[in-house]
Amino acid sequence: MKIVTLKQLVSMSLFALAVVLLPATSFAELPVPSHITPPVGEHVGEDVPQPIEFPHNRHVKDMKINCMYCHTYARRSKVAGIPPTSKCMGCHKMIATEKPRIQKLTEYWEKGESPRWKKVHDVPDYVHFTHEKHIKKFVFDADFPVEDVQQVCGLCHGEVREMTVAEKKKPLNMGFCQRCHEANGGPGDCWKCHK
Amino acid sequence: MSVKVNRRKFLKMLGWGGAGTALAGCDMPTTVTLEEGKEEVVSYLMPEEYVIPGIGVWYASTCTQCEAGCGLHGRVREGRVLKLEGSPDSPINHGNTCMMGQSGVQSHYNPDRITAPMMRKGGNLQAISWEDAMAELSKRVGPSSGVDGKRVGMVTGTISGHQSVLVSELLGQLGSKNHYVHEQINTSVWRTVCRDMLGDETPKLNFDKARVVLSFGADFMGVWGSPVHNMGEYAKFRKGAERGTLVQIEPKMTMTGANADLWLPANPGTEGALALGIANFIIDRGWNLVDVPARIRGTLKQYDLVTVEKVTGIEAEKIKRIASLLSERSPSLVLAGASVENQENGYDSVAAIMLLNLIMGNVGNTIGATAKFAEASMQAKQGGTKDLLLLAKALSDKKLDVLLTYNTNPVFTAPDVLQVQAGLANVGFKVAFSMFPDETTLSADLVLPIHSGMEDWGTHVAAYQPEGAVMGFQQPLMEPIHKDTRGFGDIMLSLLKLRGSDFAKFDDYYSYIQTSLLNMPSSIVTSTGSKEETWNGILQNGIVKTKGTTTPLVPKLVDVRYKPAANNSEYPMHLVPSARLGMWDGRHANIPWIQEAPDQIAKVVWGSWAELHPKKAAELGVKNGDYVRVTSASGSVETQVYVHKGIHPDAIAVPVGQGHEEYGRYAKGRGVNPLKILNPIMEKRTGELATYATRVKVTSVHKTGRLVKMGGSEVQVGRKFVRTISSSVFQRTEKEV
Repeated sequence: MKIVTLKQLVSMSLFALAVVLLPATSFAELPVPSHITPPVGEHVGEDVPQPIEFPHNRHVKDMKINCMYCHTYARRSKVAGIPPTSKCMGCHKMIATEKPRIQKLTEYWEKGESPRWKKVHDVPDYVHFTHEKHIKKFVFDADFPVEDVQQVCGLCHGEVREMTVAEKKKPLNMGFCQRCHEANGGPGDCWKCHK
Repeated sequence: MSVKVNRRKFLKMLGWGGAGTALAGCDMPTTVTLEEGKEEVVSYLMPEEYVIPGIGVWYASTCTQCEAGCGLHGRVREGRVLKLEGSPDSPINHGNTCMMGQSGVQSHYNPDRITAPMMRKGGNLQAISWEDAMAELSKRVGPSSGVDGKRVGMVTGTISGHQSVLVSELLGQLGSKNHYVHEQINTSVWRTVCRDMLGDETPKLNFDKARVVLSFGADFMGVWGSPVHNMGEYAKFRKGAERGTLVQIEPKMTMTGANADLWLPANPGTEGALALGIANFIIDRGWNLVDVPARIRGTLKQYDLVTVEKVTGIEAEKIKRIASLLSERSPSLVLAGASVENQENGYDSVAAIMLLNLIMGNVGNTIGATAKFAEASMQAKQGGTKDLLLLAKALSDKKLDVLLTYNTNPVFTAPDVLQVQAGLANVGFKVAFSMFPDETTLSADLVLPIHSGMEDWGTHVAAYQPEGAVMGFQQPLMEPIHKDTRGFGDIMLSLLKLRGSDFAKFDDYYSYIQTSLLNMPSSIVTSTGSKEETWNGILQNGIVKTKGTTTPLVPKLVDVRYKPAANNSEYPMHLVPSARLGMWDGRHANIPWIQEAPDQIAKVVWGSWAELHPKKAAELGVKNGDYVRVTSASGSVETQVYVHKGIHPDAIAVPVGQGHEEYGRYAKGRGVNPLKILNPIMEKRTGELATYATRVKVTSVHKTGRLVKMGGSEVQVGRKFVRTISSSVFQRTEKEV
């Protein structure tokens, strides 16, 4: 028979928590920016077929294109935005025109339509989330190098550089947001997000 | 591992567990729009430079929810209009909107919009293509239709600007003079009196210059004239160096009445006598600032305090008090509204009331001239109920073969005795230009779905132009939601083109408006800058400021011809078909926000009720929520009672707007329509329908229910949220107001 003190109870709980969390952090290849305590939580996303199987890996990992080159609204607006089709065509009028996916894109462009992409990352309508504020805090205000912005994006969007079409890798629920807000000094008022 | 846990530790552990539970709650997956891959997200093809998804862009336009013509700013995001606010550039609303303007988006996005043309086949309306619809229309009113133009009619609501020009042009080409302009809520009688006694139908009312406003039933903050403008002026009147005093005399408390310093219910239909009594007292004391001819003085003599008190039910002391207010606090502003105008003696009563303005020297002071839009064909054609009576007569006399309806719903607003619905059967072919399946639209043979106010171009010249003659400009705030709706102007234009008219050179309504606005003569606008700059200015401001023509007011005293309304022993009660800002004449009953917004006085939502004075309710043995039957010589309605003191003991108010038999999921089958039981009484001098003149009897039907209203209790139950003292105590301790 052993009597557990409060101190022991706390340390046991923390150990258990660490055991649960370790696998999540240890296999991440993207370095976590040193000024951010990363949000904790994992999610196994569904496969979402898109009208065109857009290869994020090709653009991000191989071509080293910055996230915000295409998702240009992320630093200016609440939504990161799907790039306008004209932006895709800016390169693909010339590049890789023989590939079937690019030919499909060109078909859309010539019809004067944008592909109807399926939304993968979303929060409910009663949640006000803004990309702009997060990019400002973690990138611009922190003097974090913009060329490494995928390390910041990846905290909520996972390792997009390893994906073709986007998959949801983080739960993006209130606990996930709340823990990160607590750890990084984000606002804790209900109405900051629920307004 | 066995653990010894005492109570203290147990509570601490429970605390930890509780925290864990709370966090786990935050991690619960939610099903609200979070399914991956269920919603679509479509990027722009080629965005405009200034467009950023997630950030709204504001466009200027003009509100079409009523006829006041307020300027709007609409917030557009990702190609959708999300929010409407008043335009600060508009001299009509100065950046404000009312609830009807705010809820414009729910009219636009309404799930009951008509999405395809429909034609009556075998008794039912069936969807057809636009080509077929236009062919049918051409068959009936086109150049080779052989239709007798004199047997073509058109019913619209108040109409102005280019739409009005096109309608007049079409009827002109057909040789028809049958343009019926119908508005259930109107100021027709007031306007007629203004024309006769001031020389201007819509004079400017300077609330801000008045030190006292005496209003006989004019709900100027609700449904009288240009409410949003009036509210702004009223605020100046109240917040000036000296707080203005408002006296309201009406049978049923309106929102304006609720704001008054003194609220008095005169016997309905005797307000003219009260005005004459006040005038007589003023002249008797020599307080009048303008001389009154002996002839009129002579007539006024019979309105001594004793007589007037007997006729109107207003104590002599109160009459004296109002008269001294008018004298001590000159200049004043005296108004008359629906409950006076729409009596059988409406004109004469309003004339008696206007007399007070004339003798107190208000004309040219608190009542001024307004600038009129210089092009007469584009000025507002204001509607009333006279045209409803004329239409009903034309229908029953079988005078019409083709009837076009737009922006009005006479089947709903006409009393049953006029038999408008039955009369429509006498018309060979009825065409409805409409957004919604309302009663009139569903009686038509051909239904043409039109764009909403947020999808179409347009110009609006408000009837009441308080600060210079302006034209409200309406531009689409987004692409049409439904692919098979068309603009009313576009349809009119294509009809005109069939006859190879001057309009053939315009591709569409947009190019017609644009060409017209860019080529306005210098008598209307002073143009500076290039056409492109002018056009961009119009698009940015949503308003076109024009020169306008102003004619000074010419006050003219007319003979007093007032006679009180006769009594009726079989139907002892006065029916007040009250209207309120929001529901208006019932056109907004299909807007959930409007249904949800409680009535300003009764606080009832989503339904009908009847307002009764506590004395009368006790006589009938009914309380809040009990059902009563309100019976006139023309029919009856049954609804729940709301008991309060803001109504004349001999009156019963049943609000207008509910009781739709059609009009979509939010309006249909909800409440009762008091207009249906009105008697066909005409205002004697103007020929308007005297909507407040119907007498009724009220009986309990011994049935009760819960009256759905906001606010559970009318009293503070001793909790003193708002500290009050009675007026008698106030007058004794704080002296007279």
